[in-house]
Amino acid sequence: MKGRGKRNATIVISSSEDDDDDKDFSLKSDLSYSKPASVPPTNPNKRAKKASLSKSGPRPRKGPLTNDFDEIRRFCEEFDDGIRGFKVSTGNGMSRELWADKYKPCSLEELAVHKKKVEEVKVLFEERLTASKETLCKNVLLFVGPAGVGKSATVYAIASHFGARISEWNTPTPTIWQEHLYNSSSGLRYTSKLEEFESFVERIRKYGFISSTVGPRSRVVLLIDDLPVVNGKVSYGRLHRCLHLLVQSVCVPTVILMTDYVKADSTDNSMRYWEDLHVSLQEAGACKVSFNPITVNSLKKTLSRICKEEECELSAEQIELLAKASGGDIRHAITSLQYFCLKPHQLPSLCLSDGSTPSLRERTDGLTDLYIEPSLSFGRDDTLSLFHALGKFLHNKRESEPSMVLDRDTTNLKEKFVRLPLKMDSPESILRQAHSQSRPIADFLHENVLDFVNDEAIDDAWVVASYLCDSDVLLASVNGRMARNFEAENVVRSAAASVAVRGVLFGNSHLAPTRWHAIRRPKLWQVEQSLWHYKCQMVSQQRDANNGLNLYDLSVVATEIKPTLERIGNRGASEDFEAHEASPEHMADDLDGLILDDDKSEMTSEDEIEDW
Amino acid sequence: MLWVDKYRPKTLDKVLVHKEVAENLKKLVTEQDCPHLLFYGPSGSGKKTLIMALLRQMFGPSSDKVKVENKTWKVEAGTRTLDIELTTLLSTHHVEMNPADAGFQDRYVVQEIIKEMAKNRPLDAKGKKGFKVLVLNEVDRLSREAQHSLRRTMEKYSSSCRLILCCNSSSKVSEAVRSRCLNVRISAPTEDEMVRVLEFIGKKEGLQLPPGFAARIAEKSNRSLRRAILLFETCRVQQYPFTNNQAIPPMDWEEYVSEIASDIMKEQSPKRLFQVRGKLYELLTNCIPPEIILKRLLYELLKKLDSELKHEVSYWAAYYEHRMRLGQKAIFHLEAFVAKFMSIYKGFLISTFG
Repeated sequence: MKGRGKRNATIVISSSEDDDDDKDFSLKSDLSYSKPASVPPTNPNKRAKKASLSKSGPRPRKGPLTNDFDEIRRFCEEFDDGIRGFKVSTGNGMSRELWADKYKPCSLEELAVHKKKVEEVKVLFEERLTASKETLCKNVLLFVGPAGVGKSATVYAIASHFGARISEWNTPTPTIWQEHLYNSSSGLRYTSKLEEFESFVERIRKYGFISSTVGPRSRVVLLIDDLPVVNGKVSYGRLHRCLHLLVQSVCVPTVILMTDYVKADSTDNSMRYWEDLHVSLQEAGACKVSFNPITVNSLKKTLSRICKEEECELSAEQIELLAKASGGDIRHAITSLQYFCLKPHQLPSLCLSDGSTPSLRERTDGLTDLYIEPSLSFGRDDTLSLFHALGKFLHNKRESEPSMVLDRDTTNLKEKFVRLPLKMDSPESILRQAHSQSRPIADFLHENVLDFVNDEAIDDAWVVASYLCDSDVLLASVNGRMARNFEAENVVRSAAASVAVRGVLFGNSHLAPTRWHAIRRPKLWQVEQSLWHYKCQMVSQQRDANNGLNLYDLSVVATEIKPTLERIGNRGASEDFEAHEASPEHMADDLDGLILDDDKSEMTSEDEIEDW
Repeated sequence: MLWVDKYRPKTLDKVLVHKEVAENLKKLVTEQDCPHLLFYGPSGSGKKTLIMALLRQMFGPSSDKVKVENKTWKVEAGTRTLDIELTTLLSTHHVEMNPADAGFQDRYVVQEIIKEMAKNRPLDAKGKKGFKVLVLNEVDRLSREAQHSLRRTMEKYSSSCRLILCCNSSSKVSEAVRSRCLNVRISAPTEDEMVRVLEFIGKKEGLQLPPGFAARIAEKSNRSLRRAILLFETCRVQQYPFTNNQAIPPMDWEEYVSEIASDIMKEQSPKRLFQVRGKLYELLTNCIPPEIILKRLLYELLKKLDSELKHEVSYWAAYYEHRMRLGQKAIFHLEAFVAKFMSIYKGFLISTFG
């Protein structure tokens, strides 16, 4: 940046330098996740100079431009510092990468995936690689599994085992809005990622890999890792067709990777799309291989191997903790390990506290996990889908006999207030895991709880209903308040959810015999919407029909005027009202239809749960 | 045009019921200064009729020339701008509206819209500054905040505008508002008065009324004159000439409620409760206010109930009506009432019949 100054040419040069820097920076940024701000700058002098330069530079016109460059530059430097600091603190100056990349398995033995699964995949690959070119169909493998279970790693490892080259469909970088504006002004047409993918597939189907880069002898595996994001039925349909064609007609061995998000959010509509996609691709001749989360044992093995190579000293217990916290996600486990080695003094204290409470240990494993998990600064928070959580509350599973601990606490409760201990975590923690708002929770419980109450126990139904009432009152107290105090609102909301859930759990003491139930979407929402439409309709009708004679209250119109009008109208006494009376039933039907459609897009209506 | 509108008395002199109130109102207005007024009384007792007649008394026939406007108001509320849609009835001298229709935004209506209207006062013929009248319906449905700001509006603009408030129950109007108004209680007309009105209408329409027929309608209409006239017209359409034993049908929704009531009496179980919920939804979708559903349901249940249970059931109905006002979703509370009733009734059945 020395030459920056009066002439344009130098600016161009320096800007290209900056570009290089930029690339460099973007590369590095992949590797680092420590916050640059938190790292003290190692070279304050340089930066100060830079800053002063940027201030004193004699360039009235190009000022803002170069300033931008400067800023990026400075930012890069800070970032570099950050990375350096990061590396120093790992205690291993050699590593420049994330461990998850560094310790990528290169051979079949290093894979943490289960041996049998690897073997299975290997056989499948062998078939396809040897028999390729001639047999047309069944060239496609479909790998399905949660994130971080080693799907891609397996593909790479096996491909290298067979000496095949992997050709990957690279997702194009997304277009930013500004970029799009620029492009469209310069006449470039915007192509969506889906379109690009489609044309890619078309190319592959027609020409295979005839391009010069591929030697005739080398074997190629096509890897489609990153399917374009689709949203909505139409684009989903396009993707579906496109993949279907690919499966049917591709002549190279192809692997399609799909990450499924079953646990993450099954309230999402796209879930169902993906499942459909699996099925239809299988029908088209793809061979589906599902990957399970990696077992704690093999995670532990991998982690301790890495520890040995990185010369970090972690106790077996710590490694086990890490392995468990990652939930079978090996990438996450390794990254956690790396992060963890940055400040190795944190865990011992944790472990100490863990060891010092032997009473926890005595309980079931699940419980200890629960107590530790929130306090870990790494590890994945387990999420629950809304429906899973609701299922838990509604099915109300309890221990068959009271535990000793609880007996001590509940000294003088009357018989009718005593309940067996719950066979689940505390309802609040489940609510937290389900990440749902209190209002929908209350609505869902209200809609569904009666299915789960024994048909004899109307008293229970009342207890439940009265608790739901209470929670409704609590929720209402939040709304319509003038001065919004968000903290207080939050407390009230979670209290309301807690009242609703605990009310359902407590009240429903005589469970209906367990059978399979579907959880319905609250009909209340639909009712509210159609009520609203009906009201609007009535207001406008009144305006048209009444000729401004009188303004009746809405309730009067609904309860008295309208029924009378209908009755009079039915008897054939033609009133001028009737012309405006656009047969409310039909309207309502239409509206219902509309509403149903609307709702489907926002919430799967027939999402069902099994008997948990 | 419905008879209710057609035979609505236009002036204070012509009213058939509440003649004394009309006299007093007339005196009040002729003495120039008119205080804020609060009319309260049960539905169908003639509050609105009196208000309209009063307006005519104040402003002459020009107050009849009204137009309905559905206006969207832009209200600045802190950082946001709210759009509030309200139907108003306007003449040159008065504005009528239902601020409670704005739901929980009612306070903005009261604060902003009324303020704006009260500001531009009309000039009367002599160039003297007159006052404008704001008629607010269903004041009892206003939220507490809205009633509070109503109070301030009343004080601030009392020189330029008069408020006429109208509500069913003055107990739901805040003390502060009530004390700033002249309270006018309009009681429900007696059955004799209603019979007189019905006979008057019959005569105007040239109908033959068999003796006792008007009394029967009056009895069915629960002391609501509007209901009585509507029923009368319905009967006229259904069958004429009238016979003395002609059926006077209740409103559809009332039949539906009594159906629900008999459902409840027949079986008390969560499954039945669920079915009842469906029917309640049906009523709510048709804009029947939940309070009225609850009231009617209680009425129907009490008819069929053993007297020793009546007290307890009424207690719970009152309890859940209160909760309903506090809460947001009426169905939760209606259903809780039904569940409670089922639970009480089942206990009663078991203890009596074993």
